[in-house]
Amino acid sequence: MKDLLTPRERFGLLVIDEPQDRVPVFPLVTAHAARVAGIPVRDYYTDGAAMARSQLVAQELYGTDFISFFSEVGLIAEALGSRFDYPDDDLPLLTRPKWSGLAELDEAEADPLKDGRLRVYIDAITYAYEARGDTVPILAYVPAPFTTAQQLVDQEAFLLGLLTEPERVHRLLEYATRSVIRFCRAIIGAGGLPILVDPLASGSVISADHYREFALPPEADVIRYLHRYDLDVVLHICGDTGATIGMMPETGADLLSIDRIGLETAIAGAGDRCRIIGNYDTSAILLSDPVTIEREVGAMVTAGCKCPMGFVAATGCEVPVETPPENVRAFVRAAKEVGFNATFGGRGKTADFGDSPHAGTVPSDGARRRV
Amino acid sequence: MSQRSLTSPTGRTSPTSDFPDPKPARVTFDEWQELFEQVPEALVEEYHYFPSNREAFSKYLFPPQTFAIYGMRHLRRLKYDNSLAALRMWGFVQNETERLFRARQTGRRVIATMGDLGAVPVIVNSFPRCTAFYPDCIWWTPFAMESRVLFDAAAELGIGDATCFSRAALGAFAKHSYFPDPDLVIASTGASCDDYSGVEQLAEQFAPEMLWVEMPMRCEMGQMGSMRPMLVQEYQRVVERMEKLTGHHVSDDELRQSVLAANRVRKLVKRLRELAFRQGVLPALEMMVIEFGNLHYYSDITEWTAVLEHLLATAEERAAKGERVLSEGALRVVWVTPPADPLLLTYVEDHGARVVGTEYVINQALEVIDESKPGLEAIAESFMAASLIGNSRARAQSAIDQAREHGAEGVIISGIFGGSHCAMEGRLIADYVKAELDLPVLEFDVAPPSNEIGRQLQTRIDAFLEVLRSRR
Repeated sequence: MKDLLTPRERFGLLVIDEPQDRVPVFPLVTAHAARVAGIPVRDYYTDGAAMARSQLVAQELYGTDFISFFSEVGLIAEALGSRFDYPDDDLPLLTRPKWSGLAELDEAEADPLKDGRLRVYIDAITYAYEARGDTVPILAYVPAPFTTAQQLVDQEAFLLGLLTEPERVHRLLEYATRSVIRFCRAIIGAGGLPILVDPLASGSVISADHYREFALPPEADVIRYLHRYDLDVVLHICGDTGATIGMMPETGADLLSIDRIGLETAIAGAGDRCRIIGNYDTSAILLSDPVTIEREVGAMVTAGCKCPMGFVAATGCEVPVETPPENVRAFVRAAKEVGFNATFGGRGKTADFGDSPHAGTVPSDGARRRV
Repeated sequence: MSQRSLTSPTGRTSPTSDFPDPKPARVTFDEWQELFEQVPEALVEEYHYFPSNREAFSKYLFPPQTFAIYGMRHLRRLKYDNSLAALRMWGFVQNETERLFRARQTGRRVIATMGDLGAVPVIVNSFPRCTAFYPDCIWWTPFAMESRVLFDAAAELGIGDATCFSRAALGAFAKHSYFPDPDLVIASTGASCDDYSGVEQLAEQFAPEMLWVEMPMRCEMGQMGSMRPMLVQEYQRVVERMEKLTGHHVSDDELRQSVLAANRVRKLVKRLRELAFRQGVLPALEMMVIEFGNLHYYSDITEWTAVLEHLLATAEERAAKGERVLSEGALRVVWVTPPADPLLLTYVEDHGARVVGTEYVINQALEVIDESKPGLEAIAESFMAASLIGNSRARAQSAIDQAREHGAEGVIISGIFGGSHCAMEGRLIADYVKAELDLPVLEFDVAPPSNEIGRQLQTRIDAFLEVLRSRR
């Protein structure tokens, strides 16, 4: 099936509240891209060109609607001084946070061109943008301040501090926010659209009250900065967001990427304020078979398309590195087929693009209006 | 023009104390990001398109980075004027696709006008809540994006590479994502670019309804007067069709108000051209964008007028202080036919030249409309100055006159690769210029979209400028 629109054109319509030719398709292919490109995982997260090549190969192979750069959530913490190990065939592992407790802070601010592996992302964005930036949006996951803070300080001490030393936690979050924003600025300059990722702010880790007090405000600060540039901001929180979904739009996010929450619940909680991105089970895409995946993804897209603000068919979190490619293909195929919009181009007439499914269709008037 | 007359109720018109303009200069993409970081939040919040609208979506004071992220890759290679007014202009212009969709979403009628470049939108704008735009202007998009996507879409519909870049408009119609499907398409044809008439014909398959308007045929300048009544009749058909579409009977006063609004824009641009060409207060890139705003005001004449007022205030202030963005000693050139690739203007300025005159085939949109005559007659009369309905001699004469006025040292004619009339006309214009002024002329075809100016063309431009330098 040949698409009428490029991924960039499709995304452009989504973010200005216009229907698209089909639902955008976004299995969160991150380090899995290295596997399908035949590039060692360690190279993927230490070499910008390798990271870009991996993503370009995967995007072409699967026909997805985004290129997305991500390795792990410790990226900014490492640039600020936390220590990570780089296994040969696995993602970086935090070995020693910068501080063992909520100690006095220094004046450090991560330099995206010098510190840690931030430059890897910038190089990857630059490379991919030159290669495919006219047709595919280039996304870069940026660990949010709350998640970054938990990579700077011993996690147990941090979580205890939410109860016992909230002021110190707030100062640490401000400290992290400065570097997060600086990293976003560099990503913007390179042509990438930052996605804010805050997995350690999920209901699997903290309560809804703590989310509101500690995680939401710095998320909102970063999003406010990104809105200065009029960017459409994705907030991704994997894990359980059942108790916080109603609060997440308060961050100002334009799109919410969700994981372990019923799609209907998410739409009911936030779908009138944000576009929803989600949320196929990543265990299922790893372990299930293509037929089952097609059936389940079809049901997900049918449900997701009821979101008033728009929907992107995605996995709830990263596609596991070892996922069989035929499973990802099944996801993409089903999402495109079920998410196809036969009424696209409603006011005018559609082009005859030969083998295009649009050939000869003259959809009904008025289908395009949403606002 | 007095400072008082520049004051606009629709927006800030002069450099502000909140964000004082730095010393005038052309800055890179990266340097603009540095500057934007210093722009106060209140200023970002201040400017909105469709001025009565204060919705968050209608803000537009955003830097080139915003639009680069959404695919406008060429922006990273251009150089920009560093004033707040220029930033505002770029944000407003780059925002147009979204603005057109928002126009539809907020209940406006969206009318595509094609081919005549400047006249029909004056009529359309006399109708309430109607927004006119030119799909023709999509011809820059493949260059801005460094992309063949729209050309490929046009090729699949039958117009391939041996045609003007304006074929990108056909691709855009087919994509339904660069502008909303129009309520009506008003396509002018006849004495126009042959290639674009072909584009219009093929675009008809996407239009709910196409109203064809005949433009006067080419003829000698002295005979043009006789064609005016025919054009008035054609414009009367436009009025009737618009009345049928909107259910609104347009009054003489509404038409006159639209003429006055168009003239306000044209007078502002006329003054900006004078200042830029004489005193080098704005770069050629910004000036090209400014001139082309006369076609359809980037789909919002009220806000575009405010943007122009802001630009003019900046330009006047620079002129009064004797500040320039381009050196007084720069080589002075007149540019004929708009460069589809804006990087050419940046390149020429980077190499020591500045543009002191233009013939961008939109003379009809620069002409001030006679406000003493009935609306349609006055619009028709102003259209008689059109670049493409006169003969090549007339276009050459415009370039010659400007070259004389501003002491140009050379003329650059940038044709369109594959464009039919460019190939025929470029040499003729060059011959006229050489015969009358004995100036060196550089004539070349703009290459398809790329991330750089081709090396061969770079060498030709370099050599041309060297010749100009040697003649001093």
